[in-house]
Amino acid sequence: MSLTVSAPPARAPIQSLIAQDSSPKTHDPALHSLALQIQHNLQYQHNWSALHIYTHSPLTGALLPRPLLSGLPPHRLYVHPDEQIELLKDADRARKAKEGETGALEVKAAPEREWILPARLSEKWTLRRLAEVFDGVSQVPPEEDGKVRETSKWRETKRVVLATVDTDSTVVYYIVQDGIVKPRQN
Amino acid sequence: MVPDTPPVQEPFPISHVAGRYLLFDPPTVAHARRTHNVIGVLVGTIPNLSQQNVFLGIPLELQPEEARVLVEQGHAYIVDDAAIHREGFLEMSREDRLAYLRDLDEKGAEMSREVVRRANERSEQVLREKGLRPSKKGTESTSNDAGSSLFDGDEPPVPAVKAPEKKLEPTYITPTTSYPPLSKPQPSHALGLPEVPKSFPLFRYLHTKGYFMMPGLRFGCHYSVYPGDPLRFHSHFLATGLGWDEEFDLLDIVGGGRLGTGVKKAYLIGGEEKGGKQVADTSALPAPSWNPALRPNKEERKKAHVEVEPVRAFSVEWAGL
Repeated sequence: MSLTVSAPPARAPIQSLIAQDSSPKTHDPALHSLALQIQHNLQYQHNWSALHIYTHSPLTGALLPRPLLSGLPPHRLYVHPDEQIELLKDADRARKAKEGETGALEVKAAPEREWILPARLSEKWTLRRLAEVFDGVSQVPPEEDGKVRETSKWRETKRVVLATVDTDSTVVYYIVQDGIVKPRQN
Repeated sequence: MVPDTPPVQEPFPISHVAGRYLLFDPPTVAHARRTHNVIGVLVGTIPNLSQQNVFLGIPLELQPEEARVLVEQGHAYIVDDAAIHREGFLEMSREDRLAYLRDLDEKGAEMSREVVRRANERSEQVLREKGLRPSKKGTESTSNDAGSSLFDGDEPPVPAVKAPEKKLEPTYITPTTSYPPLSKPQPSHALGLPEVPKSFPLFRYLHTKGYFMMPGLRFGCHYSVYPGDPLRFHSHFLATGLGWDEEFDLLDIVGGGRLGTGVKKAYLIGGEEKGGKQVADTSALPAPSWNPALRPNKEERKKAHVEVEPVRAFSVEWAGL
């Protein structure tokens, strides 16, 4: 039996993405590659757009505890329960206005930009570190031109999407809000 | 709804018995629930039917956290029930003691008489049903009817079955309450603040915001948090209290968040913010939008005896991605 020596396999897209990253390294390289990995996942698996990596706080300009992402999901990610009630009422009115039609309720909620906090499952967190992240982010991520677009009036607390990645590259997303926010009634 | 019980005088005593915080007085139990969002758990069974534990009654056992907020806000005080009893009964005057014992004896004798009377009634009834012991009216009518019978006149009237003239067995009573004979313990005898677990700051924070807390074992957290009385509302949060620098695994956040979202709740973590901005007056916080009546009472907060560090909490829900 003979062993054939072959060329090493081509790099995975995510590998080359991380290797080609030329942005200034303000944090631990592991944190930069983590942010890139989450960005890649959101862009190609969940169809997010306008993804941007922040190393400094848009509020104070201070260095963030780790690189954070902002991005625009294809659909609204979070609908506050009170807003949901309003949306359902609006949808019901719209359906009644179009008489004779008995279609399903069409709930329209425009997508909003979200902050994303990349993390590895193996990490330990504390409330203090979580609070530091929240202190560094604005209520709504700014657009590319630095302006903040108007959002639904129910967006009253800061919220961050906690992206937790395991060693097998599975990423799970949880919405963390700063304060007591009543749950959604799905 | 107008309560039909007399108003409870505050501060009210909480009995500390063998490490538990207990309330024995139903009006106080209702008062604590109605005005102070304190629910507790009913733990009392019938002493001679202790297996019958589907429906429990008084006493109400309070979680140490619940007892603590009541004491901190000046609504209640803790008394060492064993010491109060020892002291109260040992120092009772001879006349009071004799009067108390006589009272117990009388009640016991009354009970025995009642038992005998009922037994007699029962036996009367059975005899009547079997026709062995005609009722008074019946006796007259039968004697008239029986005028033509064979045994006319000869039969002497059936002698009344007399209750056996035994000496009454006294019933020994276990008194169900100690107040009276003891007078209500005074706040001057109060014990210190109850020992509480480290999740207490989050409990107190949620309590001041008008939430009701129940033990969280069912959902693997410290407290299930209800926006109103648990008899009327579903819970909103599964709350876990943490220290500000206490490390936790992200797996716990993921697990709690996923479980909470699965049961239409949010997972809530929070703790005392060390070196945070001092929130001077928690009563300035808005009432929950779903029930404006839950606004914390400003006066109550001012009466609070304890400096409160600010608490910061985070709600976690599954993002659905």
